[in-house]
Amino acid sequence: MIRKEINKISEVGKALISVEGNPGVALNHVVELLEADSGQSLSFAKAINITEDSTRFQVFNGTTGLSTRTKIRMHEIPLTAGFSNKMLGRSFDGSGEVADGGPEVIFEKQVSTRLDTLNPTVRNVPKQALWTGIPMIDVFNTLVKSQKIPIFAGPTEPYNRLLSQIAQGAQADVIIFAGIGLKFDEYQYFKEQLSQSGNIDKTIMFTHLAGDSQIKGLMLPDVALSVAREFGDQGKDVLVLLTDMTNWSNILRNVANYQDMIPSLQGYPGSLYSELAKRYEVAADIEGAGSITIIGATTLESLEDPVPDNTGYITEGQFFLDGGKLKLARSLSRLKQGVNGKTRSDHRAIMTAMASLLADAEKAFEASEVGAANDPYSQKLLRYRTDFIENIEEPFGEPIELEAALDKCWSILKRHFEPTETGLSKKLIEEYWDKN
Amino acid sequence: MKDINKKRTGTLISIQDSLVKARFFDDVIMGETAEISVDGKFLQAEVLQIQPDPKNADAGIVEMQVFEDLTGAKIGDEVVFKGTPLSVLLGPGLLTSVWDGLQNPLYKLSEEDSYLKPGMNAPALNEETLWDFTPSVKVGDSVSGGDVIGSVPEGKVDHKILVPFSFGACTVESIIEKSSVNITQQVAIVVDELGNKHELKLAFRQPVKAPIPFKERAIPTKPISTGTRVIDLLAPVGYGGTVGNPGPFGAGKTVLQHSLCKYAVADIIIMAACGERAGEAVEVFKEFAELEDPTTGESLMNRMCIFGNTSSMPVAAREASVFIALTVGEYYRYQGKKVVMLADSTSRWAQALRERSGRQGDIPGPEAFPMDIPDQIKGMYQRAGDDLGTEGSLTFIGTVSPAGGNFQEPVTQATMDATGGFWGLSQDRADAKKYPAIDPLVYTTSVYNGFVSWKDRQNMISALRTANDIDQTISTIGLKKVPVSNYIQFQKGQTIDFCVMQQDAFDKVDACTRPERLEVINEAVQNLISSNIDFEAGEMDDEQLKESIKQKFDELRQWWRDWNYSATTEEQLAQLPGAVNKFILQEEYAV
Repeated sequence: MIRKEINKISEVGKALISVEGNPGVALNHVVELLEADSGQSLSFAKAINITEDSTRFQVFNGTTGLSTRTKIRMHEIPLTAGFSNKMLGRSFDGSGEVADGGPEVIFEKQVSTRLDTLNPTVRNVPKQALWTGIPMIDVFNTLVKSQKIPIFAGPTEPYNRLLSQIAQGAQADVIIFAGIGLKFDEYQYFKEQLSQSGNIDKTIMFTHLAGDSQIKGLMLPDVALSVAREFGDQGKDVLVLLTDMTNWSNILRNVANYQDMIPSLQGYPGSLYSELAKRYEVAADIEGAGSITIIGATTLESLEDPVPDNTGYITEGQFFLDGGKLKLARSLSRLKQGVNGKTRSDHRAIMTAMASLLADAEKAFEASEVGAANDPYSQKLLRYRTDFIENIEEPFGEPIELEAALDKCWSILKRHFEPTETGLSKKLIEEYWDKN
Repeated sequence: MKDINKKRTGTLISIQDSLVKARFFDDVIMGETAEISVDGKFLQAEVLQIQPDPKNADAGIVEMQVFEDLTGAKIGDEVVFKGTPLSVLLGPGLLTSVWDGLQNPLYKLSEEDSYLKPGMNAPALNEETLWDFTPSVKVGDSVSGGDVIGSVPEGKVDHKILVPFSFGACTVESIIEKSSVNITQQVAIVVDELGNKHELKLAFRQPVKAPIPFKERAIPTKPISTGTRVIDLLAPVGYGGTVGNPGPFGAGKTVLQHSLCKYAVADIIIMAACGERAGEAVEVFKEFAELEDPTTGESLMNRMCIFGNTSSMPVAAREASVFIALTVGEYYRYQGKKVVMLADSTSRWAQALRERSGRQGDIPGPEAFPMDIPDQIKGMYQRAGDDLGTEGSLTFIGTVSPAGGNFQEPVTQATMDATGGFWGLSQDRADAKKYPAIDPLVYTTSVYNGFVSWKDRQNMISALRTANDIDQTISTIGLKKVPVSNYIQFQKGQTIDFCVMQQDAFDKVDACTRPERLEVINEAVQNLISSNIDFEAGEMDDEQLKESIKQKFDELRQWWRDWNYSATTEEQLAQLPGAVNKFILQEEYAV
């Protein structure tokens, strides 16, 4: 097929180029940029804004080195991602090109990266727990297959360590790692962790390092999620790790800025919510097929920042990491009610009781800071709080089975409280109090 | 009226995300819909603005928002203008349906593909289903828009067949006998004053942006039993009322919405899942089908219909989804039904307007929302209301998702201004895993004849407020310095909060509290508030006494919670006031 070529670049900016007139390219279709004299391929680009007078493109490899003489070759197809089972164990960049120096991958097929919405009627209601061996997750905020949930953490928190710990224990057929704006150390850390745990052969890594082309970082989740979705459609249970979605959102902000879009909050485009939702909503348990679970990382300075705030409204809860601990107060798994009623009879009740006592204990802690927690009950609460933080909010360490974790909860309650102080029903107290 | 048989077209001259411009030579009507032909698919669009064409004095430029993904669209693609504004198909079969934001039936679309692709569509209502039509007018009768010409049973609902609202005075020329017909078949012919004949069917299309009128609008006064105690006791909503329900993420808006769907006493529940998680809408239409309707005992889905424009679906259709849902609500209200509409979330609706106005280059208002967003929000809530003329009502409960959980942001503020009721969800209560996280001290209501008397309600609020104040004092100066009498008041408030205001949405018995149970609870609460309990100090100092008081209240709270979970028979219900009275007298009450 002869592809149309044009040579009319009128504007080269950061990540974007424009051509004069209307070359006949369609929205979101891909073009290839060629060195004017040698015809050597420099980059691919995508049409994002078309008028009869000009057309604007996002350039995947960045615009450095492009000139007004650069040639544009039209491909007349929207962006796709290569798919093959041979991708397992390998590393790719944000546009799906091999990035580990290994041999080329022969793709079985090209899949659309448009991330069409799954018809809600073919979604199963999520009902299957994914056990992690971390009590704060298993007991208090059970992770469920097909859930979309981020880890909220300050930039210096060990969120990648937690992400990799969850991934190692996860019962998934395929792990898709999608790293955006990663530091090299983080990339290497994940690679080593996945190798050590023997999961590397079922993992595909898509990596965008800090400093790489912004557009490649921007498109990385779409490429990674399209590949994940293809595995899901083929009946596999897929776990996707997205880190760090704040980096991704910042790229989105930069590119929106280059496009002169009117910013809403803190410079982010008004579409931030929809853009994040489009990616996270890929998580699904598909009727008659497999499932896709997404665990993301969202770094933040404050929970009120637009990225964590919008994310919180999109995802099915969040794990909140602070001071190296998984904090109960701000963590939430919205899907836990679908699974924690079918475990041990005390599961839900002890979760509620301990949370409610911890909230009281936090109040007592605040009071104690101004010297106003001198009564015996406040003292009890303070001791309970310390115990809880050390033994339940600690995510790192030997994995604990659910039953053992529940027993541990009872023994903590018993160490500090009388049965009536727990708010637990008489029936449960009779059944469990003296057993632990 | 426009001659809709004449094909009017235009061609695309600009494409950006979901916003396009087209050049036209004929005529274009503001607000009309259009179809854009892209790669052989037809994408739905709506006219937003009409301008002159600087390049061609004979032409004009029309700006449109497109409700579907435009990938593949090119300059020069053809636009066909439809001559009709955005509308919804109204008729039997609405109930139990699950649509996207533009009334495409999702189950039908899933037969074609698991994924929603641009250009996919299917008839909004099933065209094969036969309905038992019974006429209620005869040849020669005078009818006009909104009048009933017959009815069909739609499940347990008596679905009235109406003359389309746009019709003026007409005379019935013919009408079919009692028979089974589908929505495409003709049931009557009417003749208007100019002598034009119009065919009537069971279903008709109605524009969504203009409200269906009231017959005799009234102030909502009769409270709805929602089953949620803190609402029914402190902030009841009336049939035809409006409520804004803001809360930060994780505060329990969704659980509360689901609870209202399940337990609110109403004829019809319409859910507009607007820009929210798909999983939540799925839970409703897949799981609620197996639950019982509190009034009829049938499947809960039989009284529901769902518009699911979930968060990853095209943003432009979000605005439409709320108006479409509202119009369906008004249609059933006009038939005399008690309709409750839940919109989750109106913030996503407002964001869709923000995205659009940003692309159109409008000068932004606060937080980049369009300047007129408060008026648009008010206009939307105003469509709810009680209608004495039809005895129907449309109640509108909208959730608000304030950015950063900050109630000062423009959408929350405009909503507070627009609604009669306000249920504020608190982050602190949510963090403490208290459900519902409605702060018993942050809400408003416009219903004065609730399930308990206004005086009792005030007593309850004041007890909660006092306890809250004492709690603050304890946190600042320590429990030691708080007098025993205040500590007792604090414990009373804590008990009301823990045993009455909080509720377990996942417990079979506790999840829903009906008025007769509320009455029993109120009796116990009022006795507790007004009681003067004599806790014997004996040898104990103040500190020990407080410890012993706390222990006694802990026991009461445990007993009361157990009662919440277990009491169902009349006899068991009656135990609560008795037990509280015995507690007040310091007698043994545990059974």
